[in-house]
Amino acid sequence: MNCYLGIDIGSISTKGVIIDDSNNIICSIYLWTEGNPVEAVKKLINNLKENIPPDYNIKGIGTTGSARKLIGLMLDANVVKNEITAHAIGTLSIHPDVRTILEIGGQDSKIILLDRGIVVDYAMNTLCAAGTGAFLSSQAKRLGVAIEEFGTFALKSNNPTKIAARCTVFAESDLVHKAGMGYSKEDIIAGLCKSIVLNYLNNVGKGKKIKGPIVFQGGVSKNKGVVKFFEEILNEEVIVDDNGHLMGALGVAILAKEHKSNKTYFLEMNQINFQTSAIECNKCPNNCDLLKIYKNNDLIETIGSICGKE
Amino acid sequence: MDKIKIGLPRSIFYYEHEYMWKCFFEKLGFEVITSHQTNQEIIRLGDKHSNDEMCLSMKIYLGHVSSLVNKCDYILVPRIDNYGLTKQTCTNFLSIYDLVKNLFNQKLLHYNIDYKKGETEKCAYFDIGKQLGKRKNEVKDAYDYALIKYYKEEKRRNIIALNKLNSKKLKILLVGHDYNTEDELIGTLIVDYLSKNNCEIIKSHEIPKEMTVNLYDKISKTLYWKQNRENVGSIVYCEDKIDGIILLSAFPCGSDSIVNELVIRRVKAPILNIVIDDLSSFSGFETRLESFLDIIKQKCKR
Amino acid sequence: MKKIVAFPQMGNYYVPAEYLFSRILNCKIMSPKKITRNTIEMGTKNSPDFVCMPFKYTLGTMIECLDSGADIVMQFGGGCRYGYYSELQEQILKDLGYSFQYINLISAGKADVKKIYMEMKKVNPKLKIVQSLYYLLVARTMIKYMDNVDDYIRHNMGFEEKAGELAGLNKRMLKEFSGAKGLIHLTNIYIKYYKQIKKVKIVKNKNCLKVGIIGELYSVMEPFANYYLEKELASYNIDITRFTNVEYLLFQKKKQIKKYLKKAKNYIKYKMGADASDNIARTLLMCEEKYDGIIHIKSSFCTPEIGAMPIINKICNEYDIPVIFFSFDSNTSEVGIKTRLEAFHDMIEMRRNR
Repeated sequence: MNCYLGIDIGSISTKGVIIDDSNNIICSIYLWTEGNPVEAVKKLINNLKENIPPDYNIKGIGTTGSARKLIGLMLDANVVKNEITAHAIGTLSIHPDVRTILEIGGQDSKIILLDRGIVVDYAMNTLCAAGTGAFLSSQAKRLGVAIEEFGTFALKSNNPTKIAARCTVFAESDLVHKAGMGYSKEDIIAGLCKSIVLNYLNNVGKGKKIKGPIVFQGGVSKNKGVVKFFEEILNEEVIVDDNGHLMGALGVAILAKEHKSNKTYFLEMNQINFQTSAIECNKCPNNCDLLKIYKNNDLIETIGSICGKE
Repeated sequence: MDKIKIGLPRSIFYYEHEYMWKCFFEKLGFEVITSHQTNQEIIRLGDKHSNDEMCLSMKIYLGHVSSLVNKCDYILVPRIDNYGLTKQTCTNFLSIYDLVKNLFNQKLLHYNIDYKKGETEKCAYFDIGKQLGKRKNEVKDAYDYALIKYYKEEKRRNIIALNKLNSKKLKILLVGHDYNTEDELIGTLIVDYLSKNNCEIIKSHEIPKEMTVNLYDKISKTLYWKQNRENVGSIVYCEDKIDGIILLSAFPCGSDSIVNELVIRRVKAPILNIVIDDLSSFSGFETRLESFLDIIKQKCKR
Repeated sequence: MKKIVAFPQMGNYYVPAEYLFSRILNCKIMSPKKITRNTIEMGTKNSPDFVCMPFKYTLGTMIECLDSGADIVMQFGGGCRYGYYSELQEQILKDLGYSFQYINLISAGKADVKKIYMEMKKVNPKLKIVQSLYYLLVARTMIKYMDNVDDYIRHNMGFEEKAGELAGLNKRMLKEFSGAKGLIHLTNIYIKYYKQIKKVKIVKNKNCLKVGIIGELYSVMEPFANYYLEKELASYNIDITRFTNVEYLLFQKKKQIKKYLKKAKNYIKYKMGADASDNIARTLLMCEEKYDGIIHIKSSFCTPEIGAMPIINKICNEYDIPVIFFSFDSNTSEVGIKTRLEAFHDMIEMRRNR
């Protein structure tokens, strides 16, 4: 039988999904990128290999996420798509009538508006990383609370503290100050969750008509506190899927299915030697940081050049 | 019949024109409603309606406008372009009327001041009078009345300010746009803190304009913003009469970003540059104000 | 020894500027260096925190030019805060220890021909009025020709049979322009290249995607500042319309602004400073012509544009035309912009196929 692999390589986590011809998820995997997308994908592939039922042949591979180009080259993928389109398509396959997708991930956040099954508008965060997953985890560490428990803590509070979260630096100093003044942990965490929601709506969601059904995705969607404040402020039910984190991978797997070729992919990663080397090009004053990708010691691609000399 | 109510948003243009507006409208027989002093609710409203990159003062202004919605018959939103070629206002002031018009579906009362095109302040007041359906002679009376009252009041305020310069306490010049230094949340927090620590605070806009307006070129020759000119002029006027200067600006104020940098590079007196970005916390400033005061005090002892 | 004059760069407009100054100033002209990361780093390091991006970029260029031996630095002011750049930039450069002459050609947003002439006279006391007016005319004509060609290229860049042909011709044309002997020679060069450019094979579908670019002038015109946005769009086979060019800013704007204000009278009553009200009217124009999408770009904290953005958004909502806003500063990640553009392309394509 035919199946298709979609991989979403984000800055924090890497997700892989294998689907069959009717978009059912056969198996999926989720692991940390740990700053090394190549290694993460190798691990992911090895893991998937063990989980695929023997009678399935992979007929297409799609990649998305911040390292999509690199991994796309590495796996010879037939589709390389940006995460916005991938997320939209993945979500549509599960919630065909969705109108708004909210997503807060590790490094960025976005909003996608859909109408009758197509993307009509979207936006991504413009300023800094304030209000993203990475910011939340660093604050969790500072407060000595596991990030997984953040939501439970937030739900206990009746009176969220106001926290200035427009900018990471301001937020951090404010947080330290409030903690020092003796506000309870629950209130501070709830305040943090609320400020993330407000910040998101004021930045990414500015001027967008948010209509239901609303689906909330990305790592931060696992935080019940944030979900609660979204519902409170938008006055609308917010759907969080157990598989929400897989939507990007699912979407790109579906795209791979739509662009399938007759080629059959074999997940033999270990035989091929993949190397990347980062160098600073000194051929002009741009000093671009180039990423050179070698497959079995042959240079196959250079990423990151501004002037095109390399 | 109830009097027609005119709403004044308490920000941006308010502090400079408030007294004159009130005299004018009351004389014409209208009721004036001023929005509440800036509070967290107004900031929330402002955030909701503004663009993420707008300066804090604009956000607050939109918050004030929003708080007046459906509470009065008209909201007064002027557009002030310039007082002559080299006396321009902030570019935000140019778009404010159209912005409010598009964001809030409200009846607006407005006028345009553009001296380059011959639209003077006097024309502006006649324009408002016309929009409110008043006869020309009525408007003229009200305008003259308001003008006289305004000059009297201005003189009174100036004397108070100039007296402050003779104070024995530590004297600090607070330089900034009046809508920032007078704002309940931006300026007052700083003023309160300083007064508690036994300082005399002189705000830049309290120094009489006719004294400051031509002094700016001692610091910057090509400056073409009216308010910044007055601010810079007040620094020149006061420099040897005070102990320290605090530059207060709202993030990311366009004109202040350049002018303040130039002031810091060209003025010798001790300067503290405060940029306010978010108003939910005062903690960061306290430390900075405290250390600034310590530095000035030590300088005075020597 | 002849003095060396340098000025900041913006797109390809250094060609006419260089042409003009080298003929009237009796000085050596330093070709402005292409903006690079080093430029941005130098500029950012020495600028106040929340000043807008053009300040940082032009300051960086000036530092680089002074380092390579320039004696005179020129800046062209403008409306908004651009007009006040010069005084602070001069102070910053002096504080850095450079000794040089600083010339600001346009102050308080008003180009005063007499003042410019006097400034030039200071540099070259032998300057003659007739001669300088003639070269001014040549340079002005050059700008017109350049913008004409640019406009054609922009609409067709994404549809060349052999990629890069148009850009190559344009480059060669500019090179010949800088050697033009006079007005007639210049026109001949222009006609020659224009014919060649028209001959370049274009494979263009009438129903191709059409996108308009509006926004703050510096970001729009300097490709490095907008991360080669146009090139990127062309690679998706998109027909690009851009309204702002120097020809427009210097010569057309005065006439056009009244028409624009009339056009957009349901939304705006007054001028908003710089190009903000123009952009609102252009948005309306593009919405009526059923463009597939609008891209609004600016450098962070550009005040006039910030005021226009909510109104642009409102218009686009009413006409149901997608619009995206880019706000660049020196930390913007290029990858992020590419991702957004790719998604934008996917989106407008999907909308088309609806």
